[in-house]
Amino acid sequence: MSSAVTDAHEHDHDHHGPAKGLKRWLYATNHKDIGTMYLVFSGIMFFIGGFMALIIRSELFTPGLQFVAPNFFNQMTTMHALIMVFGAVMPAFVGLANWMIPMMIGAPDMALPRMNNWSFWILPVAFSMLLATLVMPGGAPAGGWTMYPPLVLQTGDAFPFLIFSVHLMGLSSIMGAINVIVTIINMRTPDMTLLKMPMFVWTWLITAYLLIAVMPVLAGAVTMLLTDQFFGTSFFLAAGGGDPVMFQHIFWFFGHPEVYIMILPAFGVVSEIIPTFARKPLFGHDSMVYAASSIAFLSFIVWAHHMFTTGMPLTGQLFFMFATMLIAVPTGVKVFNWTATMWKGAMTFETPMLFSLAFLFLFTIGGFSGLMLAVVSSDIQYHDSYFVVAHFHYVLVPGSIFGIMAAVYYWLPKWTGHMYNEKLGQVHFWLSTIFVNVTFFPMHFLGLAGMPRRIPDYSTQFADFNSIASIGAIGFGLSQLLFVYVVIQCVRKQGAKASSEVWEHPKGLEWTVPSPAPYHTFNDPPKVAAEVAFS
Amino acid sequence: MNDNAGNKREIRKTALILGGIAVFFYLGFILLGVLRA
Repeated sequence: MSSAVTDAHEHDHDHHGPAKGLKRWLYATNHKDIGTMYLVFSGIMFFIGGFMALIIRSELFTPGLQFVAPNFFNQMTTMHALIMVFGAVMPAFVGLANWMIPMMIGAPDMALPRMNNWSFWILPVAFSMLLATLVMPGGAPAGGWTMYPPLVLQTGDAFPFLIFSVHLMGLSSIMGAINVIVTIINMRTPDMTLLKMPMFVWTWLITAYLLIAVMPVLAGAVTMLLTDQFFGTSFFLAAGGGDPVMFQHIFWFFGHPEVYIMILPAFGVVSEIIPTFARKPLFGHDSMVYAASSIAFLSFIVWAHHMFTTGMPLTGQLFFMFATMLIAVPTGVKVFNWTATMWKGAMTFETPMLFSLAFLFLFTIGGFSGLMLAVVSSDIQYHDSYFVVAHFHYVLVPGSIFGIMAAVYYWLPKWTGHMYNEKLGQVHFWLSTIFVNVTFFPMHFLGLAGMPRRIPDYSTQFADFNSIASIGAIGFGLSQLLFVYVVIQCVRKQGAKASSEVWEHPKGLEWTVPSPAPYHTFNDPPKVAAEVAFS
Repeated sequence: MNDNAGNKREIRKTALILGGIAVFFYLGFILLGVLRA
């Protein structure tokens, strides 16, 4: 077996801890340190993006223009999306992957630790550059996160910074994905066969393949935008014989799998948590793997459902409509498997379980509105309306972000060695769940009544639901301060000491190491005993 | 049974193949744009 694992023993590192001071973080190669940096970075971005959301919702609190100029409003919608997608949700899952995957598969670290360091440190550079555009002549990008030409080509000095920062984000994601795949393929403890892997590892493996396939596509699309703007090409410029709709096809070939990149790891998290708190094995582990793989495959053949209104042949419309609806089948398999896992389980409702249950109900609402949007004839009505905003926020906030929060509460005692404050955690859960619905549910009604998205002002008939949504958004934003407080309290070791298992007999190798997890884990490949195996 | 666990050569090979796939997709889609434009 394994030369590198044996090498690791020969240069035994486990008797010394981390380096001191700034160097520990700047030169970090330890998966736990890098995971922590990703999570902290994601948290900072979450609050910056959230602040922008609050500017948007404040402006929309009543009809008329209140606080910001329309162009700045557009900058806020664009930057909010870019920051939340690439800066908050994706790095949070990479952080979780860094922390948990080596521990879950019995590996001493990630396979490529120096590249891991590089993947992370590219991100602050990319986002500093993106945020710097806010103070540039012409302001930040304002054409939407989709960067459709020719609109995006009207961006001022910010344009090349936008393109370069998107390239850097892509590079970081690709390197992170390569690291995840190589680690899972090559570093598993010898008797952990693929189908014995925990679902979080499985969903991340699939996500990493998606990332490698589609992030370069986004990079290619924005490279072509760059050459159209500065080097006289006409990939997307109709005046030069190019095709602006081709950008949309390429963008959404990236963009739809991107949706699954942001949700599949959350599926993995929920698949870890529900069995622990239902005190039953995950129902249909292997079928969950096949369902996640099917979702990933289907994500490549549905992209044009984002573009039904651009005009396409009837056969194209029907193909993309039915392919999209087909995704409901493997997703349904997952939802029913989670439900079956809970069936007759001895359930308790600690904070991670509460977030997972809210995920189950609320993500499904987002899934159902997605099915409504898949129907071509309906989509032509819903397109570019607040119904779409409601749909994807239900998928991303109580979907992806609740998944991240569930994961943080679930594994925080393993990371810090101390329990978080359960009571405050539950208060945070209820506030978040109530306010997330107050914010986003009225948007369904606004969209169905015809309110377009990405506008700073609106007709007075939309006033009531907009006010409700804005109140919800402010409440949701403030509730997250409680989350920060609970996490800081736990990190400062103010809770009870956590045992190595933390919860009641959870499955998985990560629960066989002490809490907090030692700086170096598994210098000897562990055995996958029956009581921790998944399948 | 995972026979490749921790094998540095295998790790580098897998990483290079994956990196190659990423470059292929990047250049491939630009080529698509060139052919279409």
